[in-house]
Formats: sequence, C-alpha cells, structure tokens
Amino acid sequence: MALDGWKEKIYQRYLAWVCRPARIKRHMHAFLPSPKQPAKPEPGHKKNQVRAAALQVELKLLKNPLQFADEMHRRVREAVNEEAELIVFPEYNNLPLFGLLPGFEKMEESYREKAQNAGTGQDHEQEGEIGLADVFRYMSPVVQPLVHTVFSCLSAAYGVHIMAGSYTLAEKGNVINRSFLYGPGGLLIGSQDKVHLLPVEVEWRLKRGGSFSVFDTPLGKMAMPVCMDATYYETFRILEQKGADIVLLPIANLEDYNYWLALRGIWPRVQESCLYGIKGALVGSIAGLAFTGRAGIFAPLEITPKKDGVLAQVEPCSSEAIAVADLDIEVLHGLRRNHPWRDTNPALYRRYLPELYN
Amino acid sequence: MRVSAITMADLRLSSTELYRSDLSALLEKCAAGLAVLPAYSALFLGLATGALEPAPDFAGALRQYYKNHNDWNRQYLELHSSLARDLKIYLVAGTVVESEAGCRYHTAYCFNPGGDTWGSQRQTHLTRAEREIGFSRGEELNMFDLDGLQAGMVVGNDARHPEVGRIFALRGAALLLHCGALEAGYNCWPQVAGMWSQVQQNQFWAVEAQLKGKVGARSFGAPPAVIGPCEITPGQSGYLARGYPHSAVITAELDEEARRQIRQQYPLLELLNPAAYSELERG
Repeated sequence: MALDGWKEKIYQRYLAWVCRPARIKRHMHAFLPSPKQPAKPEPGHKKNQVRAAALQVELKLLKNPLQFADEMHRRVREAVNEEAELIVFPEYNNLPLFGLLPGFEKMEESYREKAQNAGTGQDHEQEGEIGLADVFRYMSPVVQPLVHTVFSCLSAAYGVHIMAGSYTLAEKGNVINRSFLYGPGGLLIGSQDKVHLLPVEVEWRLKRGGSFSVFDTPLGKMAMPVCMDATYYETFRILEQKGADIVLLPIANLEDYNYWLALRGIWPRVQESCLYGIKGALVGSIAGLAFTGRAGIFAPLEITPKKDGVLAQVEPCSSEAIAVADLDIEVLHGLRRNHPWRDTNPALYRRYLPELYN
Repeated sequence: MRVSAITMADLRLSSTELYRSDLSALLEKCAAGLAVLPAYSALFLGLATGALEPAPDFAGALRQYYKNHNDWNRQYLELHSSLARDLKIYLVAGTVVESEAGCRYHTAYCFNPGGDTWGSQRQTHLTRAEREIGFSRGEELNMFDLDGLQAGMVVGNDARHPEVGRIFALRGAALLLHCGALEAGYNCWPQVAGMWSQVQQNQFWAVEAQLKGKVGARSFGAPPAVIGPCEITPGQSGYLARGYPHSAVITAELDEEARRQIRQQYPLLELLNPAAYSELERG
C-alpha cells in the first residue's frame, strides 16, 4: 500500500510545514554562532594537514524536526570542540526522522516481528502492508529540505566541511540512497548516489547510482561513496584514478558486530588504492533492523603509527562515539610517488576486464 | 578437498635428496590432495644445496640464479614433478626465475598427480625492488581444473592487486593458490590486505604459502594460511587455518557446499555494477 490516501497527504503537508526551512533556521540561529567566514585560500592553495572526525551515531527516533537539528548540532559541536574541520556522518541518517510518523512504533513492531520470522515462511509482505521503501518515498519531500537546511546552517556556522551522511530519497519515481557534502560557506559541494546495493536494498527496490564523483576542496580531493560501495575494489580504484585523496564513507552495517566482518569494507580498499578513508557509522536498531559498526579513520599501512592501517577508531560497536585524527595529504602524496609495492598492468586489464564486466 | 600450505621451515636443505625426503614425509603426514610451496622456493633451495652461487644480498642472489637458471630450474621442477607423481597429489612447486625472449619472469608451477605440468603463472605486478632487478610482468592469468574446482595461482606481489582476484573470480575461479614471500618482522596486516581481502570480495578459497628462511641478508617469514569467506570460517575470521611464521605446514579441509551456500545468500559478484565502471582505466 502506498502512503497516498487523503489523510496521509494532509499529514505530509503538515510535516513539510513543521520542517519548513524558515522554522528550522530560526530555531538554529538562536543557538548557533554567527557564520564563520572561511579564510580565503590563495588560488590553488591546498591545506596539507586536515583534522577529521568520524562520528558514530546511535539511532533514536525523533518526534520533532527541531530535535533532529539539535542532535546534528550536538554531534557537530562535539567534533568542532576536537578542532575537526572535516566531519563525517553515517549512512541512513534519515532513519531517526521516522519518529515523525504517527504510529510508526506500531509499524516498527510489525517490521520487527517480520524480521524475527525471516526464513520461517511467515515473513512475506502482506497485501496492503506498507514497506520501508514506501516510507522512504513518503518522507522524502520532508527529509531533503530539512537535511539541507540543517547541514548548511551547521557547516556555515562552524566553517567546516561536513559529509552529512546518506539519505534514502525519492527521485523521478525511484528511491535512491544519496550522500551529501557541505562546505564551510554552507553550500552544498556535491552528492553521490550509492552504486552497489545490499540484497535487502534490492528487495526494497532502491535504484543504484551509475557513476562516481570526486570533489575538489581546499582540504583535498574528496569522494563519498556509500557503505556497500566499499565492498568492491572498483569503487576506490576509480576514485583514486580520478584523483581522490580522502574517501568519506557513511555506513550502516546490518549485522552483529564481528571484527573481521567489519574489516571487509573501507580498510582493505584504503590499502589497495592508497588514500585516506573516514567511516561514519550508524548503530542501534529500528524496524527489526539492527546496525553495528566502529567509526574510524584509516590510511595506508605505511603511514600509520602502528603500521596497521588505522589512525583512529572508536571502541564501542553499538553506542555513540567519535574518532578524530590528523590527515597529512603531502605524506600521502609522498608515499604514492615512492611506493614500495604498487604496480599496474594495463595489458593484463585490457585483456580480461572489458569482456568480463560486459 | 584437503589442502596444505608449506613454509619450508624445518626441512633439511643441504641436499636435494634430504629435502625431497623431508618434504615427502611432511606431505604424507598432511594427507592433503593439494600442497602449495612459497615464492622464491627454487632460489632458496638452490642456495642451500649449493646449486646456486651465494651473494651478499637478495638482488645479487637473484642475479646469480638468473645466470644459471636453465639447469637449476630443470632439476628443481623435475624433483617436484616426481614428488607429485609419487605422492599422487597436486603440488604447486613454489616459484622459479625463468626467461623468454630476453625477459625475466617470476613464475609458479603446478604439477598434477601424474607429475605433469598442470599450470604455470607469471607474476603480473612487480614491487619497485623487483622492477629494479629487471623482472618483466606476465600478461595472462591461467586457470586449471583441480578435481572439479577451477583454480589459479597468485605469485608474490599479485596478492596486493585486487584486479588479479577479480579477473580470476569473474572467470569462475573457486580456489587461488598463493606463493608468497614476505619479509620477516611479523605484522599480520600486509597479509590481511593481500589474499584475505581478495578472498572476502570474491568469495573464493585461497591457500597461502609463505617462505620461512633467509636469502642473502634478507629474512622471510609470515604465517601460512587457508582462507575462505568470513561467514564459513571459525569465528567468522576468514581463516580456516592459520599458522605462525615458524610453522612448517598448515592443513585445512575446503567445504565447497558451504561456499556455494554463502555465495547464494550473499551474491557479491552478482551485485557488481559494471555500468558504473566505464571510467575505470583499463590501460
């Protein structure tokens, strides 16, 4: 059942009204510092040292969009207090906003039961049941402007770069999973659609992205593929070839925490493609989905103090935390110029890959 | 299938006869249908037996080997061919240095239970040091059948290049046999960033043999391992078996049905998105 009855339409209008940018801005400007003017860099000037923060966000349903603004502000301020100038939020950062839906707790109960029955034959979708994709679609017109307003205000107020996490949004009849990057002036630098979907996202009929983008910023060239994209070396190889120095990865891992399972994403990709990786993680549970993770900041083995590829990583796997580390772009470029083991074999790739990918 | 990875630790190397006897006893004890020796095994044995001229450093030892590689390679490969035949196993004999048309290659060989050459594989990605020594890159990845499993070999530094594993996986490889030789000074992370990572993103098996010993002034030593998709290994670690740098051998049983099931539940390769890879530089 799509959420398109007259009651749902009226409620959607109500939500749009309570989430309207003017209201959110008024609320935020009451406590935010005046917008910080970023120092104007000389043309072509790049910062070599970047202090970055990877946030682990604990999922809590929020009843009011102002609470969302407050929560995001609380986490940004925590990172800014650590002098971070680049802040990374997790995947599915829109899930707390499901609390805005009246009766979502009831729906959640049914999703949870369904998850518990998974594989027992009693987990099939009932006719008329509202699927998560329906909820994503319904919430999209509310979520997108709210997220833009909140993160634009935060990045402008603190003069920092914020990767706002990823959000499931409706676009031209499809639902996509999209990450956003905001610059210190509060402007949206760019967005990236998730290119590789989880099996459950295929079930939810999400549409996958078709390309990868790299954004040139005063902190370095950055990209923000989404979660599962880091399971595939191709993502990071393309980003490396397009000049990325820092990959910002929002994740929401749908599995019980296990050190080795969690190691399979960004860590090996950073080693293969010689760049910095920052992972923001969503933890907690909703609608029968349980997320775990350990947010962290990763680098090639050769330039980490313990030669383990980790610059900073949070300890807990199911509660809120923050990891902070300094990235040195010049050190990274120096390693690339003088790398001990990296090589390329274009003749080999040409021989096999085009045909295999086709 | 039962598989073993050998480090060459604890084998008597002062003569080929002693080596053959010790390796044969070790392989019989393992009772594996497939065994893998590490990289630079021919150089290591050649120096230890006196068949190759010693040199003060690794690069010098390789240069000496190259001068005399035809004779020694013939002896070395015949020895392993006969071992495979006598024990009726598949045996990856580690690696030799060989030449063709003036180019120098680092190559692994596999013998079948009849003692025939069943497969060979040139290293396709070189370290900076290997490029300076004058090695050339192979430009093919060869596959062969091992009792119903499609297999390929991964030589040295190829373990760190994910293109290698992906090409094998998309061509249907179920099992990769890695001849490795990492410098001693144990830190597990270069290995995890190598075959372990390739296995996890392609869901095949890997048997990783690592050299234990010294060539010139360079010491080698890293743990051998048998690796599978995390979900079907103890503790979800990705390791079916993992030794220590000084372990002589490790052995594990591959459960192909378990691998088939996890590939069905979590079909990683089916979720690739090749339409998005048009920007991948392929040459």
